[in-house]
Amino acid sequence: MPTSSGKALPAPFRIFFAAMVCAVIAVQSALAQTAAKPGPMQSGTHTSRTAEAPPIDVGKLFATSCGWCHSGGGREAGKGPQLMGSELSDNQIISRIRNGKTGQMPAYAGAFTDQEMRAIVAYIRSLKPAPVEGKK
Amino acid sequence: MNIRRTAISFAILFAFGSAAHAADVDGKRLQNAAKEPDNWMSYHGDYRSWHYSGLTEINTGNVRNLKEAWSHVASRSVRGLQSYPLVVDGVLYYSGSYNQVWALNGATGEVLWQYKQKLNEDLVAKQTHSPYNRGLAMGYGNLYMGTLDGKLVAIDMKTGKLKWETKLVNSEKLTVGFTGAPLLVKDKIIIGAQGGEWPDRGPIFGVDANSGKQLWRFYTVGGEEGNGDARNTWLNDSWKTGGGGGWMAGGYDPETNTVWWGTANPAPLYDWSGPDYKTKGARPGDNLYTTSVILLDPDTGKLKGYHQELPHDAWDFDSSTGEFIMLEKGGKKYVVHPSKSGFVWVYDRAGKVQNVWRLIKHINFVKDIKPNGELVGRRDMTEGKHKNLCPFIAGGMSWNMGSYSPKTGLLYKVGNEWCMDLEIKKTTPVLVPMAQLNIGADFNITHPEGDKAHGHVSARDPITGKMKWEIKFAEPPLASLLSTAGDVLFVPDARGWLRAYDARSGKELWSHNNGQGHNGGIISYKAKGKQYVAVMTGWGGLAGDDYGAFFGGTFAQMPKDSGVIKVFSLR
Repeated sequence: MPTSSGKALPAPFRIFFAAMVCAVIAVQSALAQTAAKPGPMQSGTHTSRTAEAPPIDVGKLFATSCGWCHSGGGREAGKGPQLMGSELSDNQIISRIRNGKTGQMPAYAGAFTDQEMRAIVAYIRSLKPAPVEGKK
Repeated sequence: MNIRRTAISFAILFAFGSAAHAADVDGKRLQNAAKEPDNWMSYHGDYRSWHYSGLTEINTGNVRNLKEAWSHVASRSVRGLQSYPLVVDGVLYYSGSYNQVWALNGATGEVLWQYKQKLNEDLVAKQTHSPYNRGLAMGYGNLYMGTLDGKLVAIDMKTGKLKWETKLVNSEKLTVGFTGAPLLVKDKIIIGAQGGEWPDRGPIFGVDANSGKQLWRFYTVGGEEGNGDARNTWLNDSWKTGGGGGWMAGGYDPETNTVWWGTANPAPLYDWSGPDYKTKGARPGDNLYTTSVILLDPDTGKLKGYHQELPHDAWDFDSSTGEFIMLEKGGKKYVVHPSKSGFVWVYDRAGKVQNVWRLIKHINFVKDIKPNGELVGRRDMTEGKHKNLCPFIAGGMSWNMGSYSPKTGLLYKVGNEWCMDLEIKKTTPVLVPMAQLNIGADFNITHPEGDKAHGHVSARDPITGKMKWEIKFAEPPLASLLSTAGDVLFVPDARGWLRAYDARSGKELWSHNNGQGHNGGIISYKAKGKQYVAVMTGWGGLAGDDYGAFFGGTFAQMPKDSGVIKVFSLR
């Protein structure tokens, strides 16, 4: 399966998704148990992904939660700034992902693992302009 | 009794009389809201959602003399003021970002009290659709507000003190909470949670307006056993992460005792199923009750009926956005409901589709929608790149309200002409440790082919859509409209201009620059016998955030952390 940068990822990424599916199933079971009785919405048990998680399909992660604001997969400015060619250092980008910026970007501390944040930085560094025919 | 004692007695009587009068707002009074145009007691003005003022002191003959009477600056106005003010008995109440509420003297703007909700600020910092609040409900001496961290709170209208709070949504787990206004129906508060691209089940709640006790809950994703169970419209158990929700206040029809509520889109926003959406993709099936209009019993939360405007919505054109305009024409009673898709649905009072008409030009996610509601020529996309999908994700219409004038018989509504390119990807919902957005694509806003992105305000027959007049705007206005019995239509635009038009002809009569964009509500009311127009200012919502990069100009430098309520009267 290709990433958005066009390079094929090694097979282990499938394990990541299998793990995610397992997590989803666990969450869904918990949700189903609480569905019948009124009270605060509960959507599952609190489990954390570990630092040893398998490789990440970062293009998909980006399209899951980041592409809403960073247009064109991060190649263009949208609600958020263009990420391609960012002059921020790797640590500055990770800090921004982790802590967000009031009114402009949510904080992903605790939501994305350190490994995922590093993968997003690598994704940003790999971005190249889209073909001209894709521009309007 | 001496004179001094008499004066004190009168003062006490007056104070208690005022308090008792304010406390008199209840479900019954709201049913007759049109009879007291001095007040604006609910988000939609009254249950018919006309967003219309029956006041005539300001009219087409004198609106040119409108001047700013007072203003109030809201602290911590991240993403501007997006709410509607409420007014009763000369006191104006409004909410702002981070669940702050103010009570002001409606004639002078003097602050009577300020309320700041104690929030889980760490959680709020992790939210995307935040920290704005879009409005309040009032009744039984309380103001009601949904909080960013999943509570419904009741605030004493007189003192500004918290009366009770009820936790309804586990926002610490689901990340989202409430931003939309609650709706008071009889002695119950009804409020819908955020959802859409957030992978949960988008509940709507009924809560006792006096005690704060949760009475019922309806899951907009799949219903549940004994109450509209439609989980079989989500194959592979995809209902468990289906999105949904009802993030704007709905309407109420007292004649049938029915709450009308629009529901949000399913998650992920973009599906890779293509035309095989009934059996393939992220959420195979029609995905009831997302992107639907649902009819609920306000007392029990039981589903009485529904119409799914877009079965298996694959474009994020959800039905939460539109108001439910209840009107009569030719002896028939209708409910008119605009949606993000750019189409307007016309129902009878039982929820049966009577007509569907288009308010915008650039639509190609379907070829058409027939007058009976049937979709023709769906554009169901597969994994990969797609160009020129119209309208843009922010919608052919957004959540800003239109206005219906019974005097002109016209519906005034903002339309948005814009499109998008996207690349659909097979995403997986992220639920731990906290739910995250599930979009399913990278995308960017574009101009429509052969046209330039723009907006318009049009005046139309609400049943047929026949246009009487239209005004074009270089960028879609993102604020709500107000029409009045003085035949004035107020349009707060994106650049910061508040304009007044002749509601019959569309002729511009007055304008004033408020200094920053509008992205909230506008009302008219009377205080101390004088008519006022109050409008929210402040920029930086999910639709407006694209303006800086796309439209440039003033939007490139417009503040996104400023909010001021501006109030006007005749000089």
